[in-house]
Order: sequence, then structure tokens, then C-alpha cells
Amino acid sequence: MARRVITAWIWLIALVFVFPFYWMLVLATHSNDDIYKFPPPLLPGGNLSENWDRLLEVVALPQAVFNSVLVALAHTALVLLLSSLVGFGFARFRDAPGAKWMWRFVLATIFVPGLVGLIPWYVLIARLGWIDTLWPLIIPGAANGFAVFWMRQIILQTVPPDLYDAARIDGAGDWRTYWTVVLPLIRPGLGALGIWTFMATWTAFQIPLIVLNSQSNFTLPLAIASLNTLYGQDTAAVMLGSVISVLPIFIAFVLAGKQFMAGLTAGALKG
Amino acid sequence: MTAATATTTTPAARAVKTRRFRQHRTFYLMVSPFFVLFGIFGLLPIIAAIWIGLTDWDGLNPAKFVGLANYATILTDPLFAKAVGNTIFIWIGSTVITCGLAFVLAYLINEYVLVGGGTLRMVFLLPMLAAPAVIAIIMSVLFSTNAGLMNAALSVLTGDRVTFDWLASTGWIKPIVIVMITWRFLGFHLLLFVAGLQSVPRELYDAARVDGANGRQVFWRVTVPLMLPIIFFSATSSTVGAFQLFDEPFVLTNGSGGTDQAAEVMGTMLFRTAFTEFEFGTASALSWIMFALIAVFTIVNSRLLRVRT
Repeated sequence: MARRVITAWIWLIALVFVFPFYWMLVLATHSNDDIYKFPPPLLPGGNLSENWDRLLEVVALPQAVFNSVLVALAHTALVLLLSSLVGFGFARFRDAPGAKWMWRFVLATIFVPGLVGLIPWYVLIARLGWIDTLWPLIIPGAANGFAVFWMRQIILQTVPPDLYDAARIDGAGDWRTYWTVVLPLIRPGLGALGIWTFMATWTAFQIPLIVLNSQSNFTLPLAIASLNTLYGQDTAAVMLGSVISVLPIFIAFVLAGKQFMAGLTAGALKG
Repeated sequence: MTAATATTTTPAARAVKTRRFRQHRTFYLMVSPFFVLFGIFGLLPIIAAIWIGLTDWDGLNPAKFVGLANYATILTDPLFAKAVGNTIFIWIGSTVITCGLAFVLAYLINEYVLVGGGTLRMVFLLPMLAAPAVIAIIMSVLFSTNAGLMNAALSVLTGDRVTFDWLASTGWIKPIVIVMITWRFLGFHLLLFVAGLQSVPRELYDAARVDGANGRQVFWRVTVPLMLPIIFFSATSSTVGAFQLFDEPFVLTNGSGGTDQAAEVMGTMLFRTAFTEFEFGTASALSWIMFALIAVFTIVNSRLLRVRT
């Protein structure tokens, strides 16, 4: 009995918790006049297509979606490739001279807050001619200590050392072993890390804000923020823009929720 | 004698060492991308920040060495004191509420929930997928004067039409930032705690019961001590996040820091010093002060949580 009551309560809390997203959807389908009426609307209205037309006039949303997808995919691919390779190196050659110290260094990088070098980082990006391009969102963050740590753990757990000997007997070198033996075996780990990286890139705000200047290069979070600053009065259009920015990732999450959750908890529990 | 042995063994030892290095060439090649990239974009900027923090530099004109003047400027700036105060307020508020609520919810979900535990966890994670700008927009509409549900609810409750301007109020902006952080990150902490609770062996609970412990004793003597590493991780990541806090207060106040800078935190102060006022030297010094504070609070965190075990 008590269990049933508690279950009901927790579901109620969960509904209150996601209600703001539902409400965002509701406001996106109303006219601005409806929104400012009292009491405010709580059910979807019929103004969606007008809001959509107005939204497309004021902000290059398709361009922002494209930029976001491009950045998130490219950065994720780079992180997966680099961290799995480096993680494999550390998992496979633990007795190489200096490997222990290099590994400690990798672990130490996890605890250094990214903000510390922000200003010189910005100067460096400027010197490289990367201001107002998407490069600084793709390349620099690819050296991710946590991702390397996570890949090494996965490789140590899932690839039995005997397999390396078998591969060598079959004539495969270390690089080939990485590519044809290790990568296919760690696919679930790559998936979890990939979703986690994709999501972090998708919602990133501060670095894009610092390096991007022109509308046509904005990622979604920036486009939404600028939409809010410029057209804050047009609540319906701003809400619709917000709906569009969360929709792709919500769908991806529903499709791959399990891997996503595995990726999030792995760092804390497998350390 | 020792000198003689040293001279005779060193070349041999060196030869062995060189051979071992050569044998592991693949290793160094494989791990080099990380060290090259991190060296350029991580380590180099951090080291450069020490130097820039000792200069007066706007990013364009030649830098002028000023010693520790930037540190003195920051530490005597009343706005810095305010930003630190706001950061600590938001840090404690968001850490206690987020970690506490996540732990209670995780415990209840793990012990009592009959259906849909997995779906529940996904529901609580949804806000984490949304960009902070989106969450801030939803929050600002929820708390807006005319169209806000908050004022609408208060109007219904009091019978009067309430048109309070939450976001312009100096007293409410910090709690709203805390609500926003809690909303965004609760699911992450919840997930950690649920996973942690599920890894506690059931036999331990059974053994405690056999020894005559009641529900509350089992919770405090078995569950909490076993969960301490996860509580520590949760509190630490919340602390590191809070001291680097930027997105939430920035988008919620449209970059203004709020009425009377009531929502200015160290992260937004760093941003403004660097990219609005172009005081790169002061901003670099500020970033090192933030680093020191994060280190100190992480150590304090670990001490506090370890003392209890």
C-alpha cells in the first residue's frame, strides 16, 4: 500500500518536473495575445503555422541546426577516435617506460577546470585565425582526459589480453589490432561516450558565445539566446524556436536512453 | 668503488633503456595525439595565464608587466566580493538541494517504486539535454510578470492579480538560478545515486536486519556509509560546476548580471572582464584565483565527507 502511494507521488513529482517542457510546447502553438491572457493557456492552440512563418523570418534556424549537427558530429567522431586510440595505447602497453607517469598526467587533466586558461586560449584561437569559425568547437576539446580514462577502462574490461597474442600470431600489427579487433569489441562503450559527448557539445554555450560572432555561424543555443534578446516580446516564436532546438536530442534520447544513462554513470562508478 | 660500478653499468643500462623506448615506439605514437592537443590547447594556455595575469594587457597593445597589481585590484574590488558571495550562495544552495533531493528520490525509487523506474530516470534526465539558453527562456517565461505561471498561480491563490517582477528582483534572482541548476542537473545526480544504491549487496541489508537493526538504522549505518564515495562524487562535481558557473546566470539575466549585479558570479565576472572590458591581465589573474578556490573547496569537500566515515 505504502509502495503504491510513494510510486504515485514520485510520478507526480516527475510530471511537475517536465511540465515546463510541455508548457513550452503549449505556448509555441498560441498567438502572443493568447499567451498574455489570464489565466494562461494550458492546452495546445492552433497558431503553430503562423508562429513558424514568423520564426523563419527573424532567425536562420535551419542554418543553426546545420551548424550544431556538424559541430556535434565532427567533435564526437574526433573524441571517439582519439580517446579510443590513446586509451588502447595505455591499456595495451602498461609497462612502457614512462607510461605510468603519462597516465597520471592524463588523470590530472580531468581535475583542471577549463576556465583557468580561458583568456590565453582565446588569444591562441585568434592567432590561429579561428575566431568566427567552427574549428575551435571541434578540435581543441578533443583531448579529453575523462574520455581517455573511460576508453582505457572499457578496453581493459572487455578485451582479454590473449586476444592481442592471437592477433599477433595472425600477423596483425598493433594499429591493425586496434582497428579490426579492439574497435568492434568496444562498440557499446563508444556508443555511451559518443552520446554523452554529443549531448555536451549540443548544449555548449560559453565557448561558442566567445568565439562565434556572425549569425550564420551560430550554433543552436546561441541562435536561441540571440532570438530571445532580439525578439523577446514574441514569446510564441521564441518558444517554438526552443521546441525545435530540443526536439532532435529528445528523440535521440528516447531511442538510445539506456546507453546514454550507462555513459553518465560510468565515470563515477567504475573508477 | 660506487663510482666505478656506476660508470661501468650506466652505458649498459642506458642501452637497455633505449631499446625499451624503441620497442615501445608504437605506444608513444598512439598516445601522442592526446599530449600534443592537450599541450597546445590545455597546458600552454594555463601556463600563459600565469604570465598574462601579471601584466596589463588588452589583447592588442603590448603587454605591460605590473606584478601582482591585478591580484590586488581584484581582491579589493567590492564587485569581486559580491561575485564570490553570490557564487557561494548559489553553490551551497544548489549542491544541498540537488544532491539532497537526488539522494532522497533515488532511495525512494530504488526501494519503493513499483512500475517504470527506468522511465522515471529518463524523465528526470530530460532537462539536461536542453541547452541552458532554452532552460533559461522557459524559466524567464515561467517567472515573467504578465504571462508567468508563477504569478498566475499566486493570483489564483490570493484572489488578487499578482504582477511581481521575479527576474528583476535582487532577492529572488539567486533562488531562481538555483532552481534552474537543480532542474537541469537533478537527473544526473539521481542516476548516480540509483546506480550506487543498486550496487549495494542485498545481503548486507539482510544481515543488518537479522542483527536487529530497524529501517532507519539500516539507512544510516549501512546505506549512507556505502554511498559516501558517490555522495562525494556528486557533491564534488556540483562544487566544481558551481565555481565555474556561467551559463545559467548569464542567459537568465541576458548577460547583465541582474539588477544591482545580484546574479553576478565569478564565471560571469571573468567573462565580462575579458570580453566586454578587454582587461585580459585582470581576467587571467581572476581565472587563477578561481582555480585556487576550486582546489580549496574540493579539498574541504573531501575532508568533510571523509571525517564522517
